[in-house]
Amino acid sequence: MREPDFSSLATALLKSGITPRHAHRTVNELRDHYDDLVDAAVDEGASSKLARRTASNQLGRMDEFVSEMAARRELKTWSFRYPHLAVVVYPLACLAVLPAAPVLAGIAHREVLIRWGASLLGAGLVTALMLLIMQISIILG
Amino acid sequence: MAQSNPPFMSGVPELLLLRLLNDQEMYGYELVRSIKKVTNEAISLGEGVIYPVLHSLERNGSLKSKRKAVGGRTRVYYSLTKKGHDRLEKLREDWRRIQGGVAIALENPANA
Repeated sequence: MREPDFSSLATALLKSGITPRHAHRTVNELRDHYDDLVDAAVDEGASSKLARRTASNQLGRMDEFVSEMAARRELKTWSFRYPHLAVVVYPLACLAVLPAAPVLAGIAHREVLIRWGASLLGAGLVTALMLLIMQISIILG
Repeated sequence: MAQSNPPFMSGVPELLLLRLLNDQEMYGYELVRSIKKVTNEAISLGEGVIYPVLHSLERNGSLKSKRKAVGGRTRVYYSLTKKGHDRLEKLREDWRRIQGGVAIALENPANA
């Protein structure tokens, strides 16, 4: 058996709907477990290569592990637990957020907005001043 | 997953994990070793089998977990909550009832 591919395992768990918290922690725990198995095999006299192979066999197949996790509904995100509800809620949430999007974008980029606002105000004042001077000069003839 | 035990073992990992964690907090690898030891290797769980069970038990509030740095590794230690104690007692009672029923059936099959 090949060495376990833990990064693929994380992706597979997330794709099957496991919450990120459980997915990442499970992968870390399995990785530590694998290291412990390797250490134990080495302590018993196995070569590094044999120890890794033994540990992989003991840990089992990753696709079966994903199935085990995915079979537990309580470990899944709510949108995987209630897919029909998600189909309704997500578009509604998007519609609700849409009008607020410019405001939220403005808050997120407030420094740029303040800078641009100040520049526009400055330009407006200069233009108004120039128009006023022109008007006065016309009146004074 | 390394399947070490037959399908009728469903529910046994949960009972054993709760029982072991009732005594002291442990992490995954330690739990698998302990189960082998306390059952005289009669029950040998697949190495990865316990993690889905542990996470489910934590999710339903029977267990709590905390990280501890031990020997250069960050271990996730699990311990029992009050709800976990109650769950253990219920599973223990269920198990004794089933065990008693099976024992009676095996000794007196005519009454089964």
